[in-house]
Amino acid sequence: MSNRTLSRRDFLKLASAAILTASGLLGLEGLFRFLNTQTEPLPPTEFDLGLASNYPPGSRTLLPDIPALLLHAQSGYSAISLVCTHLGCSVESKPEGFACPCHGSRFDPQGNVTRGPANKPLRSLRVEVTSDNELRLYTT
Amino acid sequence: MRRYFLLAASISLLLGLLITAWQESRHPKPIALTPTLTSQVEYCLTCHADLAEISSSHPVNTFGCVICHGGERLALEANLAHSTMRGGKNPSDFSVVQASCGGSNCHSGTAENSRDHIQRATTSIQATYAGAIANIRYTFGVQPDLKAVLGVFAIRVPESTSAITELAAFNPTQETNPFVQAFGQNCLTCHLSALPLPGSECIRFTGCSACHTPTQFPDRTDTTQIQSNQIHKLTTAISYTQCDTCHNRGNYNLRTMTFEPRQDLPTNRLHDYYQPIAQFTSCEWMLDCVDCHTRTEAMGDGNLYSVKKDIQYLQCKTCHGTLNDLPQTRTLTDPNDLAFRLALLNPVIDLKLGDTLLITEKAEPLWNIHVLPDGTYELFGKADGQRYVFRPVKGSACLQDPVRQDSGSCHQCHSVER
Amino acid sequence: MRPSFFHHLHPPTIPARQARLRYTLAAGGLAVFLVLILGITGILEIFYYIPTPTEAGNSIQTLTFLVPFGGLVRNLHFWSAQFLVIVSIVHPLRVILTGAYAPPRQFNYLLGMGLLVLAILLDFSGYVLRWDEGIRWALVTGTNLLKSIPLIGNALYTILVGGTQPGLATLIRFYGWHIFGMTLAAGILVAWHIFRLRRDGGIAVPPPPLREDQTRITRFELLRREILAMLLASTALLLLSTFAPAPLAAPITASAPASETARAPWFFLWVQQMLKLGNPFFWGVVVPLAVLVLFSLIPYIFPKPVKPELGRWFPKSNRIAQGVALFILLSIITLTLLALLPAS
Repeated sequence: MSNRTLSRRDFLKLASAAILTASGLLGLEGLFRFLNTQTEPLPPTEFDLGLASNYPPGSRTLLPDIPALLLHAQSGYSAISLVCTHLGCSVESKPEGFACPCHGSRFDPQGNVTRGPANKPLRSLRVEVTSDNELRLYTT
Repeated sequence: MRRYFLLAASISLLLGLLITAWQESRHPKPIALTPTLTSQVEYCLTCHADLAEISSSHPVNTFGCVICHGGERLALEANLAHSTMRGGKNPSDFSVVQASCGGSNCHSGTAENSRDHIQRATTSIQATYAGAIANIRYTFGVQPDLKAVLGVFAIRVPESTSAITELAAFNPTQETNPFVQAFGQNCLTCHLSALPLPGSECIRFTGCSACHTPTQFPDRTDTTQIQSNQIHKLTTAISYTQCDTCHNRGNYNLRTMTFEPRQDLPTNRLHDYYQPIAQFTSCEWMLDCVDCHTRTEAMGDGNLYSVKKDIQYLQCKTCHGTLNDLPQTRTLTDPNDLAFRLALLNPVIDLKLGDTLLITEKAEPLWNIHVLPDGTYELFGKADGQRYVFRPVKGSACLQDPVRQDSGSCHQCHSVER
Repeated sequence: MRPSFFHHLHPPTIPARQARLRYTLAAGGLAVFLVLILGITGILEIFYYIPTPTEAGNSIQTLTFLVPFGGLVRNLHFWSAQFLVIVSIVHPLRVILTGAYAPPRQFNYLLGMGLLVLAILLDFSGYVLRWDEGIRWALVTGTNLLKSIPLIGNALYTILVGGTQPGLATLIRFYGWHIFGMTLAAGILVAWHIFRLRRDGGIAVPPPPLREDQTRITRFELLRREILAMLLASTALLLLSTFAPAPLAAPITASAPASETARAPWFFLWVQQMLKLGNPFFWGVVVPLAVLVLFSLIPYIFPKPVKPELGRWFPKSNRIAQGVALFILLSIITLTLLALLPAS
């Protein structure tokens, strides 16, 4: 018998090992899918903010539920997400900008990074004025 | 020596256990309360058992504490228990009033019988301060007329039956006139969302409690002495002293555009309160403000107004009539008449079916005034229960011109000397 | 007498010199004792704790304030957990500084490293079960850190969190891991670790001819010392639990404002401090894992302690390993202290 041919015993061993490995992988794949499932509804991405006139020009309104800061400037309504782009803590709105309580990132009032560790600006969120003069904010 | 280690360690463990048990025994015994409205047990009374019932309409066994005040109902550690309270000591502040006092079964009920109290109070001119803001802006040429367009906060009443359906928020930093800016910074202290200036002797809360929580104390010069059980009260028997916490003749200084609060406390109404040149009748200083002025005058009727006179309508003739007419009356025939509920909340008078009450020109019951068999009228003070009897003008020797019914006309003869 | 597991762990005699407190620091024994306390108090807590976001805070408040000795049970669980993390660090440090991981004990050293990781993860998951404002940002950043891992990060996040943001599914999963998954693993590892301890020859000692001191103590003396240590530890835990209650804040609500500073639990402060440097994946995942791997490899990659030097502090033969361990430990302590400084 040449070296290149598999003995019957080795073949059986190898085949068993291969089959068991495949079974194990299949099982793992099932376990992965079992655990990697989202059962709760996705968080809302639209928020009704009520009357637009509640937010007078120049106002900066904290919306802690979203969390976001609603701005009413000359150019209209805009909103800045208060979720730190580093690891997701809610940043604190201060006169000089935003400060993250977790790892000390700082942002200017426009949401641009002035100090790390964050390296992306705070997200701008879309704000629309509906036909009956109410504000709606979108987080996506 | 070493053999005693084990003994010593055993003793230390026993001592440790005893100390633990002793500490555990020092904890106050929890006092549980399961209010019928929430059906959720709360332990606030463990520490706050000495608080008086806030009002007969809010019995603690029914309401408990948490439904109004918020807070951690199970915590027996003060910082944790109080950490989530609504509005600090005052859950009726307008920033939280909807959560504390609102609800269709509570004070944001139907507009029928004007039971939508939160809507009315938050749209009233005492809350919006729209009149003062409009007046100042008009005076300094910022707006063309006295019609209110701005309030302390933005508010909209689309179904308003007045001329105003919407007020935008007054933002002093957006104003261009420096006097209006200064007004915004210095003078916004007498609306229902603002506390009195620091150091003011006129103590009151914000929101509903500004009026409904009496803050008159024997010694008002030392506000630190106020105990929470003294002010844990809601009432519709509102003394004039509560109105005085704002309506006390403190004044705007238009030159510096600051508010100058009164430096003394008006204790004697006749001498301390009324300005020397003013004329007034005895009922204006002997009665409490709420004895005549109605609930919609003080708390609003749900519409937005520019000035006080748009909502305040009572005149001398409302109670006294004129030479030609007796004041309007209503005989109680409906057991659900609003007068019965108002009298129940402040039982200074014992109303019965068949009693005849005075009513206002807008048919609001003056439920504390009823007609006596001899044609005179009997009034019971809402705040003090004091009984007064007065006559109608009709049939008297009054020299009035029946057409002229403003108070100035009556004051010509009926003002009190002092 | 039939040999039992107790006799397996308590040989008739052991060398007196290596049974002294100043050699063992009693760290291993204390760890076992703390695990027992944690098991008992943890089982008691199960009777009251409700693992849902709305009820977790209420049920902990009920346990703490209203159940007789409930506060004590919770405080004992809390303090035992903190001390378990401390002794789980002191114990391997003692092992490294005395060279006690020398063959044949490398594998048991690895088991011990597994137990250290489990102690920290159990402490963190237990901390999350409070579900109060105090844990909120540590949970958010800790789980978001997983997302920073390339390729598998998002899957790991969903597996751990059970959704796209912390919520009911997260709490249930942490609860399951805490009271069952990791506790079971820790129980098995503890049993295996102390079984191997005797199999590997008990406390590391030099070969008999090289021992300066040939005296030995009996099984009963060992037991006496263990009881003594347990009594003193119990007293300390009781007093601490009575006078220093475990922290508790108001339950998490969506609208609570961001706080001035948000701190990680004390054993992760060093990671929090490193995260301030930048890239979350590098500083929050790679570096901590590298530290763990480096510690685990100490018996394998550094010069090994020689037999004659065993059984005493600071043997010359593994000075490099000692230096590395002390350096890392001092770095971690420094980072922790930096994190405790007020934010600038």
